[in-house]
Amino acid sequence: MAKIALATLESALRDHKLDRTLTTALPPLDRVDPAAFVPTGLEALDAHLRSGIPRGHLSEIVGPRSSGRTTLALQLMAAATREGELVALIDTFDRLDVASLVAAGADLSRVLWVRGQAVSRTESAVDPRWVPGEGALRSVRSGAAEGLVERTIDRALKAFNLVLQAGGFGIVALDLADAPRIALQRIPFTTWMRVQRAVEGSDTACVLVAPEPVSRSSGGVTLALTGRTTWSGQTDRSRRVAGSDMDVRVVSPRRRVEGQLRVGATTHEDRAPDYIPRAAC
Amino acid sequence: MFAAVYAAEGSNVGVLVDVGRAFSPRVEEHLPREVVLDVDGLTRLFGDARTIAAEIRRAAADRTLRVRVAIAGSRVAARLLVRHRAGLTIIDPGDGPAGQADAEAVAQVPIELLLEIMPPPDGTTLSAGRVRTYQKESQERVRTLRRWGLRTMGELAALPPDDVAARLGAAGAHWWHVARGEDHEPLVPTVADERFEQSLDLEWPIEGLEPLSFVLGRLIEPLSAHLERRDRGVAVLHLLLRLVNKTVHEQSLQLPTPMRDPKALRTIALLALESNPPAAGIDRVTVTADPTPARVLQHSLLTRPVPMPEEIATLMARLNALMGEGRCGAPAVVDSWRPGASAVALFAPETTTRAATPVQCLIARPPPPQHAGKRVPGAPVPGGRSPAMALRRFRFPIPARVTVEQGKPVRVATDRRGMTGGRVEKSAGPWRTSGQWWEDGKTSQAPSAVTPWDRDEWDVTLSDGATYRMFSERGTRAWFVDGLFD
Repeated sequence: MAKIALATLESALRDHKLDRTLTTALPPLDRVDPAAFVPTGLEALDAHLRSGIPRGHLSEIVGPRSSGRTTLALQLMAAATREGELVALIDTFDRLDVASLVAAGADLSRVLWVRGQAVSRTESAVDPRWVPGEGALRSVRSGAAEGLVERTIDRALKAFNLVLQAGGFGIVALDLADAPRIALQRIPFTTWMRVQRAVEGSDTACVLVAPEPVSRSSGGVTLALTGRTTWSGQTDRSRRVAGSDMDVRVVSPRRRVEGQLRVGATTHEDRAPDYIPRAAC
Repeated sequence: MFAAVYAAEGSNVGVLVDVGRAFSPRVEEHLPREVVLDVDGLTRLFGDARTIAAEIRRAAADRTLRVRVAIAGSRVAARLLVRHRAGLTIIDPGDGPAGQADAEAVAQVPIELLLEIMPPPDGTTLSAGRVRTYQKESQERVRTLRRWGLRTMGELAALPPDDVAARLGAAGAHWWHVARGEDHEPLVPTVADERFEQSLDLEWPIEGLEPLSFVLGRLIEPLSAHLERRDRGVAVLHLLLRLVNKTVHEQSLQLPTPMRDPKALRTIALLALESNPPAAGIDRVTVTADPTPARVLQHSLLTRPVPMPEEIATLMARLNALMGEGRCGAPAVVDSWRPGASAVALFAPETTTRAATPVQCLIARPPPPQHAGKRVPGAPVPGGRSPAMALRRFRFPIPARVTVEQGKPVRVATDRRGMTGGRVEKSAGPWRTSGQWWEDGKTSQAPSAVTPWDRDEWDVTLSDGATYRMFSERGTRAWFVDGLFD
């Protein structure tokens, strides 16, 4: 009985051409326009996402520390620059390691790096209530530092809007990975609506890097990462950081590309396992 | 008709050009001391050609120049004759076929004069080496003509042109036409140096950027129109603001690319003044542009558009005003072993895009696999390239208290909220790095780029699951958290 009712309802919706607006229980779209996506540079992830991160939408890469958020974001940007596109990184707390960007294979001349405030106590001098898991048990920090973090985020958001309004960038990424949870929650939701309106219909893929889901447009994807560092070598003297195993969970209600996959990352530094005094030159 | 004016040695060609402009706006300059004037239509003002030549000579004498003047039907004939004959030379076109009089007049001119009046084919755009090569080839060509027994232009002009071209090439054919007194190129007038400047005296002093924006708009728009008429762009925009306290606020804006869009120029000027405002009210506003040849752009229908240089310049000006000078640009690596060393370079991407077209995308990328979205959770991905693991640098390393046992860190704690530290699960190190030690003690307030460093680095995974890069200063044995692998 229920099946019959459901079939009748779906048929009625289809007749009135409402099937694509009122339900997400549709078969995935077979026709995929590759030009409407920005490839991540990782074959497995691209295959999973059906060509990459969608343009004209707000997507996000979220996860805890050392989960591979920055690695994935830099890969995405590097792949775009290799295709000849311009990318912009709004580095809210000035955390970009240029060597990592080079190791990802980026063409640096096509990257716009907007350096935010290098708050010396960004990650650390924040309200304990802001830190996931810390709770409100700790003493409350000073209001001055709180204001500094909020001002830094506010300024980064303004820069983000300026770059989006300028247009012409393939990817515009906003790095909020070190922003405290409460600071993210204090950002008015209309901010993300404005961002979505600014990027809608353009060729720009908008990417947020954050510790937890903040905002995603209906057509965007959320890449929720969990990862752990992998080590090589058995002995103390031969051990070194070999890379990271990233488990990527894809959330995308409209495009139905949900699922989970694992991506491995390696360190780009070719360090010998032994003690090597390296003289500067 | 053309008049060639050839001055005595040591004369200033600038003065000679001024003399020519007194007669005709179409004056072509030939270094080092010759000009050619288009004197068509001057007979109604001065009289016949001889009178015109005499007037030119008199005007030059008024400026202490001793000149020869030759008037002929073609530029080339006038130039050859003015070098060949002293005083005034007038070639009357007569009633014969066009150019016949010129050809007859130059027939007695020696062929060596070809070397003097024939510049390198591309003018001054050739390198010095190419010019020397061209001159050497020209001299060799004259020697060849002399070996053929030719002495004058008339003898050269009497040769069959096809045979000359077959033996001497395109340059030889060109010389044959010159020997006949025929022009192959039009006269290119020398353009006077123009000053691109607009000023406005204000009845009432203005303070603040909003009223100034209207004034700037009023000045920059005619300036842009002037530049457009001359096909020029702005290389440097100078703002001179005379203030009520009798000082001048001066600002020069170096533009990344030649531009003349009034809106972009006004925005850039306003943003520059916003970050460096004048100290008092403004009495007089002057905007001056250093002109440069304008850009030639070719857009493509098949490539993804990239922002125009004007848009990038405006964006960078806005970002610099928001984030601070030098905080926006292209990341750049620096030649240093210092951990985390980097710089910000000028963001000036190529205007021509290399972005793949949609068609190229379709060709290059394989269609998405049908099994997408059905991967078994946690299964490793075959054939995928492993990305390089990124590091997040703390620009201000976080001081840490580290318990060391048997030479290895075993516990990390910091006073910073949000990073409590924890037990070291795994560690690797130390890797020693040092540099700029030769600068030690020389400058106490040296910039960070030259301050020495000497440290042992460790990579540690703490009990909270995160992996950090830490280091201990070898001098003080103090520990710091330098970055986070993410």
